[in-house]
This record gives sequence, structure tokens and C-alpha cells, in this order.
Amino acid sequence: MTDLQTLQQHLLQAMLTNAPPRLRELRGEDSADITSRLAVYRNGYRIRLRDALATEYAGLGLMAGHRFTHLLDGYAAAHPSEHYNIRWHGAGLPAYLEHALPWREKPELADMARLDWAISTVFDAADEAVLPAADLAGVPAEAWADLRLTPLGHLQILTSAYNVDAFRRAADRGLKRPRLRRLGKPRHMLVWRQTLEVRYRAIQADECAALAGAMRGEAFSRLCERLAEHNGPAKALPRMAALLSQWLDEGLIGGLRASLWPVMAGGGAM
Amino acid sequence: MNSESHTNQLPYLGYGLGLRVDHYEALLENPGNVEWLEIVSENYLIPGGRPLAWLERFRERFPLVMHGVSMSIGSTDPLDHGYLARLAGLARHIEPMWVSDHLCWTGVQGVNLHDLMPLPYTEEALAHVVDRVRRVQDILGRRILLENVSSYISFAQSQLTEWQFLAAVAERADCMILLDINNIHVSAHNHGFSALDYLDGIPPARVQQFHLAGHEHGERLLIDTHDAPIVDSVWDLYVEAVRRYGRVSTMIERDDHIPPLTELQAELDHARRLAAPLLREAA
Repeated sequence: MTDLQTLQQHLLQAMLTNAPPRLRELRGEDSADITSRLAVYRNGYRIRLRDALATEYAGLGLMAGHRFTHLLDGYAAAHPSEHYNIRWHGAGLPAYLEHALPWREKPELADMARLDWAISTVFDAADEAVLPAADLAGVPAEAWADLRLTPLGHLQILTSAYNVDAFRRAADRGLKRPRLRRLGKPRHMLVWRQTLEVRYRAIQADECAALAGAMRGEAFSRLCERLAEHNGPAKALPRMAALLSQWLDEGLIGGLRASLWPVMAGGGAM
Repeated sequence: MNSESHTNQLPYLGYGLGLRVDHYEALLENPGNVEWLEIVSENYLIPGGRPLAWLERFRERFPLVMHGVSMSIGSTDPLDHGYLARLAGLARHIEPMWVSDHLCWTGVQGVNLHDLMPLPYTEEALAHVVDRVRRVQDILGRRILLENVSSYISFAQSQLTEWQFLAAVAERADCMILLDINNIHVSAHNHGFSALDYLDGIPPARVQQFHLAGHEHGERLLIDTHDAPIVDSVWDLYVEAVRRYGRVSTMIERDDHIPPLTELQAELDHARRLAAPLLREAA
């Protein structure tokens, strides 16, 4: 190992441990002792990670309250940052909260973190063309059964047993902490970006089934079957029509595919 | 391509600012005396969304330069080719006037410390950095600028002064220098060297850009926080830098406690007023 490698590894250890060893490589200087000099870097590392994660996890910050700093420091100690973009250090926080004590005893925290992180990743996901509603008008009747909708690639569906969306909304709007509510049954949440705006909303079980089916590439007829399982055959088609109209309005669909119809994406044949 | 071919001359851009979200709208509405913008490269190494949409608008209005914090040119870990490929991709897309980073290391053994860690000023470190700068310049297909960092520790094994080390890196690797005037002031205070000796030791032909910024007084050390107005002692050092290096593209870096744009525009005007008589004399 070279001298430079040794020095950098010693400094790394000094940065990450709670009780840094005495480093012979550091030069004593009159104006301040070595411990306080090293503390500038050690404190800076922790503060930077905290600040970056607090920005990404606004809802979690509001939900965790005074425990938030302790939570973030625990995560940083367990998971040193490995990504050049400090933001991406946050990618492992939901899984950490799900598994690490004492946080896993409060499952609402992991649920909250999942919504925060989905919002964060959708924010700067790749730009995608959106299918104009008018393009559907040209689909011939015989092509509909086999038609496959292509939802945007960044779209995410989450499931939570708590009112995590209320916390995120309150955090974004600077409102006071809402009361934590455990829902009667877990609820699905859709997170996506409409042009440049990140959006999220709760979705019913039937919409979740149809949208998840579309994400898997299922044909339009299969999506209708999924809605029939929830609503009965008579209501399946009107419900599908209403959902399709909403998905197009919200910019959730990027393109269409059908064996009897040219491949369409973002309003143009490819 | 090899390092021999990076011979293009970089232009003079005048007086600029670091692009910050708080100023997006104000800068487009009333750029005033802001002649160019420096972006933090990592903020735009992303697939899409709002930051890149804003960047497109600024690209149309201002000359841009890319300033990174993650090249980790002094690390003993291998170069991060994934990072460099993304950096090269962004540079191809926005066509910056130049690309810069810091003379430091930011992590080792796969851990990122997200800080600008100083190097020991040894022949070993010099050879290591020079080799890596050459390789980065070949990957990017352009000369890069390296910035001097503020530091709070120094190393017993250092054989050179910081300015000797910086100058030697620039000469041997054929790269340019981004001289941060505030960082010189901060490190001079923290380590007890002469800031003027530092300026005298830097080859003028290598100086492509100045940074100006504010700092914080710790108990015994100055801390480079970029969260306050530029202080008189840094302005004085800026004058000395202009006296030595002449006309150099200058910008103000503010990363925290971001004031209204007009406050930074007033600081840019102050920089202009300080430099103007010296540049007239030199003309």
C-alpha cells in the first residue's frame, strides 16, 4: 500500500468512527489543535448527510419529529455514503427503517419514507412523451381488445397502511403535523410526474389492478376483466372508459401497442 | 486523443454567478450585470425533469461553465468512469465554456465523504494526481480547471507548499487553475502561511477563473461556508490577484443563506469597480 493510500484510509476511519484514533500523519499547528481541526470534517460529513436526507425526506421529517436527526444519524452510521450524488445516499433509507431497531417497530416510518423517496426519484426521472387523447380516436374497433397501453416508465404504485400522503402534503405546504392514522385496510398510492410536476394520489383497488396490469403489458381486454373482478361485468367497461379518460388527462400513458394497429408512442407512429 | 491535443484557448467571460434554484426566475427576468453562470455539475447529472428543463433556458441566455465536486482527482480509488461518462455526456449536451473540479479527494474505499479533503503535498501525491488529470482530460476531450480548496488539516509528510503543489499539477498535467480567493484567505489563516506568497507562486498563464465567496469565523479556525457576504480581507486579496493575473473570469459562489439576486449583483459590481483601474493600468 502506498503512503497516500494509507493516509486516506486512516482519515476515512477517523471520519466514520465515533472516537477517532490519533493520526500521526497530521501536522500539529499552533492556531488550533488537531482534534478540533479534524472535527470540522467529521461534523461537516454528518451535517451534509443530514441536510441532504432532510431535503429528500420531508414527510418523514414531519412524521418523525424530534427523533428525525437521531434516525438520520443512525442510518448514516449504518450506511456510509457510496454515491457521488449525496441525494442518492437516501436510496436505502426505507429498507433501513423497515429492518433496523427501534424504527421497525413503527412501520409508518418506512411507509412514509417510501412515498418520500418515490417523489424524489420521479422528480428527475427521464422525460417521456405522453400520448395525446386524440390518438385513441383513430384506433379501429377491432383493435381495442388487443390494445396495450404503455404507462410512463417512472410511474410508481405504493401501498401504505397509514395516511402518509397527509404528512407529505403538510410538509410541502409548511402546515402543522397531521394526526397519524392507521387505515382500516392498506391503501394504494400512485406517484408520477405530469410534465414537470410530481403528483401523487390514492387509488382504489380496481384502478390499481388495471394500472398494474397495463404496466405489465396486459391487453385492454384483460384490464377490463380485472375491473369486472372488482365491479362486476356490467360496470367494467364504463369504469375502464372513465379510468382511461382520467389516465390520459393526467398524462399517465406514454403510448399504445396493438398487433392490429401501428405502434404509437407520444402521439406519433414509430 | 491524448493530453498533447488539449490546446484550445479558453475565453474570458467577465463576471458571473453560481446558478442557484433561488435565483432561477430572477435571473431570467433581470440578469442585470450577470454575464455568465457556473452550474454545479452533479445537480444536472440526472435523467430529466425540472432541473434540466431550467438548464435549457439558461443555456439559451448565458455562457455556462460546469463546476463539479465529485471527480475526486486525488483519491487512491480508481477513477469513477461511470461518473466521468455522465459528466462528458452533460458537457456534450450543454457545451460549457469549461469544466472544473477541485484539487482534493472526496472519498476512498468506495465511501464518499462529500467533502473536499486536502492532499499531502508530496511527490507521490503529485505524480498520482498528474496522471489522473491527464486521463480525465483525455476522457473529456478538454483541459479541465482545478480549484484550490479550503483546508483545516495539514500533513507531516508534505514536502511542498500548497501553491507549489497546485502549480506543479497544472504545469505537469497541462490543466488550468480555478483560483478561489476566499479559500486562499481561509487556508492562509488556518495554516499560518502568507496569502500573497500563495498568489506569487501561481503561474499567471494557468489561471483561468476566480471564485469569490464568504466564510465563517469558528472558534479558532476560519470555515469555508459560502453562506455570507465577501469580507474586506478577501476583497483586498482579490485586488492583489487582479494585479498579478490581470483579466480573469470572476464569479461569486453562494451556497447557503442565499440572498436576493440584487445583493449578489451588487457584489459583482464591487468586484468590477475594484478590478477596473488595475486592468486600465495594465492595458
